[in-house]
Amino acid sequence: MTDHSTWRLITDEDVSASFGLAADECLAQWVGQGGSSSTLRLYTYRSHCALVGRFQNLENEIYRDYCEAHGIALNRRPTGGGAIIMGADQLGVALTIPGRGDDSYSHARERMAQFSQGIVNALQSLGVRANFRRKNDIEVNGRKIVGLGIYRAHSQTRPESAFSVSSALQRTGLLFHASLLVGLDIPLMLRVLKTPFEKISDKEIATVADRVTTVRREIGREIELSEARARIAEGYAAAFGVSLLPGDFTADERRAIAALERSKYLTAEWVSQTTAVPDALGSAKVKTPGGLLDIRATLAGNILKAVFIGGDFFAAEAAIADLESSLRWHSADPDAVAATLAHACAGRADDLTALPLDALVTAVQQAIRRARLAESAARADPYGCFVNPV
Amino acid sequence: MPIHGHYSFPPDLYYDRATHIWVRNDGEVVTIGLDALSLESLGDMAYISLQAVGIRVRRGEPIGTLEAAKMVGDLSAPVSGTIAARNEEVLRDPTHVNRDPYGIGWLLQLTPSDWARESTELVHGDGLTAWVEAEMERYRSQGWID
Repeated sequence: MTDHSTWRLITDEDVSASFGLAADECLAQWVGQGGSSSTLRLYTYRSHCALVGRFQNLENEIYRDYCEAHGIALNRRPTGGGAIIMGADQLGVALTIPGRGDDSYSHARERMAQFSQGIVNALQSLGVRANFRRKNDIEVNGRKIVGLGIYRAHSQTRPESAFSVSSALQRTGLLFHASLLVGLDIPLMLRVLKTPFEKISDKEIATVADRVTTVRREIGREIELSEARARIAEGYAAAFGVSLLPGDFTADERRAIAALERSKYLTAEWVSQTTAVPDALGSAKVKTPGGLLDIRATLAGNILKAVFIGGDFFAAEAAIADLESSLRWHSADPDAVAATLAHACAGRADDLTALPLDALVTAVQQAIRRARLAESAARADPYGCFVNPV
Repeated sequence: MPIHGHYSFPPDLYYDRATHIWVRNDGEVVTIGLDALSLESLGDMAYISLQAVGIRVRRGEPIGTLEAAKMVGDLSAPVSGTIAARNEEVLRDPTHVNRDPYGIGWLLQLTPSDWARESTELVHGDGLTAWVEAEMERYRSQGWID
């Protein structure tokens, strides 16, 4: 269990939402306490399930009635971020490795860049020009293709053990989660995940398609999930300099996973839990010489979770998606927002000639102010984050 | 209050080396929160959940969970004890932690069970300045702070 140059590779298919999530968390705990070896798990969920982020309010993010009517399982990830749909065309990636003794959050961030590199390697080997984008996305020309998340897990104390204080601090495992969009059924996604759209037409579908992409779309051909999985495995072996040894869960691990499913991931207490921090929504419309600018912002506390930039001005959609990405999970501080937009617009100057920066900053800041004011109203009439796969 | 750049580390507090959680001895209870470098690493706080009052924890065990800028992690107890109080205000508005980490942004109070021994494993007093400077150098070398 101490050979850090070899990782176990587990590939499983068609798993339930509760098993998939319980297995990842359980492995993180076991790897942290040294009971399991570092593991790269590449798997798919049974089509389809909808997974919200650790602290999201499910009712804000998911059309529960639709999901229940269509057999779409609902659950909650241990990692953060937005709501996603998962199924046969979305590859789940879970890397579980031990935390270090001096395991501050910064080390996890350091590892995130390395973690993303495994996927970037794989996509580039397929000819996809993907890049890691802070904080936790992998994108292709501004379109999100992978969402990433980190969870630092504490290992459960084994009753028979007498860990010292110092060893207790080392019993952490890191779980890196990712969902790779090999393909995506956008109309289904819009029926499952709540968005600002009031209807689902070709226009709305095209708007989403301008903000997310898939492996199949980028390489222009069909690709089996097995091929994508093999590339991901190769990408990780190269990024971390490790060998991957195909394996499976042990009997002990399966028992622990089943127990965690029963105690957590199959309970309404976990799946439907709510947070004391409500989403707050705000919108602003500003007329500019280039056309109408329509901004919608979602806040959680002082975090700007998502911004939708719409209107009838002319701009390259990839550039708009780039601006939106730059503000995802960003501080809502007005000066910070202005600085980030200025930087993002400067990098896309040729694509945004009809979008005045000052008007954009004004509109986004106004939407944020209104979101703060509308916080109580948001509790009564919520919708979720806009297009935020993981 | 010693200021290292624009990061402050009040000298009356104790600091957990591994997690950058601060501890203040208030007599019957200790108050805990996140220190300035920890917050610099995490960024703005989005959500916090905390264990219920009355729960007993050992040093290093989880006392809550936080999400900041999409990173989720458990908060570790810096000392063993029983949870005596939670800051309900930071649960409703986690940005208090960023705005005033040593004041209204405190997280929990614990009734410690082994303070005399466990406090010696925390950074305090003469060792504080050297530890802060080493940590800041480490953070700078990684590009986490300017």
